[in-house]
Amino acid sequence: MTRLLAVAWKELVQLRRDRMTFGMMVGIPIMQLLLFGYAINTDVRHMPSVVYDQDRSAESRDLVQRLIVTGFYDVVGHVEDYEQISRAMREGRAHVAVVIPPRFGEALRSGKTAKAQLVVDGSDPQTVASATNTAVSLAAARSIELSAQRLATRGQPPLMQPVALEPTTWYNPELKTAIYVVPGLVGVILTMTMIMFTAMAIVRERERGTLEQLIVSPVGRFELVVGKILPYIAIGYIQMSLILLVGRLIFQVPLQGSLALLYALASAFIAANLALGLFFSTIAKTQQQAMQMSFFFLLPNILLSGFMFPYEGMPRFAQLLATVLPLTHFLRVVRGITLKGATFMEVQAEFTPLLIILAVLLVLTSTRFSKKLG
Amino acid sequence: MTDAPAIVAEHLSRRFGALWAVRDVSLTVQRGEIFGVLGPNGAGKSTTIRMLCGILDPSGGKGTVVGFDVATQSERIKQNIGYMTQRFSLYEDLTVAENLRFYASIYGVSARERKQRIEEVLAASGLLQRRDQLAGTLSGGWKQRVALASSTIHRPPLLFLDEPTAGVDPVSRRQFWDQIHVIAAQGTTVLVTTHYMDEAERCHRLAFIFRGELLATGTPVEIVERRNLQVFEIETDDSIATAEALRKLPEVEEVNYFGHVTRVCLRATNDLEASLRAALERAQLHVTRCDRIRPSVEDAFVSMVREDEALRAKPKVAA
Repeated sequence: MTRLLAVAWKELVQLRRDRMTFGMMVGIPIMQLLLFGYAINTDVRHMPSVVYDQDRSAESRDLVQRLIVTGFYDVVGHVEDYEQISRAMREGRAHVAVVIPPRFGEALRSGKTAKAQLVVDGSDPQTVASATNTAVSLAAARSIELSAQRLATRGQPPLMQPVALEPTTWYNPELKTAIYVVPGLVGVILTMTMIMFTAMAIVRERERGTLEQLIVSPVGRFELVVGKILPYIAIGYIQMSLILLVGRLIFQVPLQGSLALLYALASAFIAANLALGLFFSTIAKTQQQAMQMSFFFLLPNILLSGFMFPYEGMPRFAQLLATVLPLTHFLRVVRGITLKGATFMEVQAEFTPLLIILAVLLVLTSTRFSKKLG
Repeated sequence: MTDAPAIVAEHLSRRFGALWAVRDVSLTVQRGEIFGVLGPNGAGKSTTIRMLCGILDPSGGKGTVVGFDVATQSERIKQNIGYMTQRFSLYEDLTVAENLRFYASIYGVSARERKQRIEEVLAASGLLQRRDQLAGTLSGGWKQRVALASSTIHRPPLLFLDEPTAGVDPVSRRQFWDQIHVIAAQGTTVLVTTHYMDEAERCHRLAFIFRGELLATGTPVEIVERRNLQVFEIETDDSIATAEALRKLPEVEEVNYFGHVTRVCLRATNDLEASLRAALERAQLHVTRCDRIRPSVEDAFVSMVREDEALRAKPKVAA
């Protein structure tokens, strides 16, 4: 125990002297929180749009006006032909074009189907859905409205709407991206720092020759490893608290469930990442390699875990890959507890695979991490 | 404890892939002696030390260190030895006192004893004024003192020093060796590797390792005497011509220039001064000085390496 504490104490003193690393441990979570919280927004609004109005009637102008009012389209100019539309899109001035053919107004007035066209720039798939959905629902609503008017002018009673679907969004009713992103960020930051710092902490000792000095000392493998990672576990919890606190203060991210439960379950996730960091340290020869490996591992975590893109949308093999990543499961746990107020029994289904991953990693790491050389 | 040797190695070998880094090394180190392991870089010195410390498993042979088996009782060995590596493995971002405190805790020096022990080694190595200085800001000689203090903080009965003076200035090296003699006089056995020949002469006993094999063991005097070397320092009016004339003699092992002096090393049992002088006269050289001097460990070592290389160079006869 004395030896374990001696290792932990030494690691803390070193950490305190290493201003850069220390600053990064606090700076990275805050920076990422602000970046992801403010910058990432899948809720696309104010899309630059051009209008190709071949009709120039009161009705066509009314349609454009209604589209603008939704807030999704900002009209940046009017064009005279399709060539100008494609140029605007190539230049990136517009992502959407509204095309209204001749006699649009006339068709409306005479009770026929008035056709208009919405051209969307598909080079950014994220915008396509938002752009189309808004316009389509606008057209549908307007059609119902106009049919009712037509019936009324003919003196017929208004039709009952056959199906009324009222969408209600729970847990994040305003669909604010920050609320979705911040709890996930807890997992991403922990993955990054825990793996990178533990891998580097061990490799650094090997690089500087102090590991050999420790290996010839009576300090045990367990004392060495646990003593070294203990301070990083504390840092992990500090980072986690920081993200949750700042997330709450700036982005009003709620905490519906039990904080104690979240902290308790996070321990398994932190441990899994530390084990992975140790595993990397047994492979990497230099700190640089350790860093590269950590980043290499981080990318699939961010892309596949469901942090940025929904798990359900991924092909089968990608889903399988995601299942092996600790972050995938922790994300569901952390979102469940913070946003939905889930209890232990309710997140247990995600916690169990996390424990299995942890067990596998522990076995893998302890077989590779040896107190001998060569 | 009894008078059992501190280290016994029997046919110790270690292979890395196809390469034998250490082959069939047998040696005995008595308690309280300073035992030098000598050899050029890459000869297998560090590999031998690592096997003796129990951090590298031998591929063959066996060894006992302070009474424990190197292959099976390495953790027991680790508690009874101090180890200082080539690169002064200190934590550069810890102060001198912090480094000592860390190693004291690691080596199980009790909390009560720790403070006193740290003061002791700080005083003994003249580090009191630098106790709060970061180890990384010390010069080579000072770092080396801290490293030695760290590796002896728990008063180990056996101390391994792996090229402790590599890259250290000559004054610091001498002070360091004085310190080693003090430590040994207090009863600690010291096994030190080096490729500095002047340091070899300061050991009680030596082992020569070359290409992973043990070439000789014994006291420095024994090793030199066993080689039957004669060394002369000659001054003439033309040192190049002198060397040329000397190299023709069959007993000559080596001729070197030391400024104006030509130094010649011969291997023979009978006194060769007369034949040397005759050879120089034949070459019509004017000899102003020809002194026979004591051969050094370096002379013995170079002679052994040459012989070994000559044997290897011979085409192999089918075995």
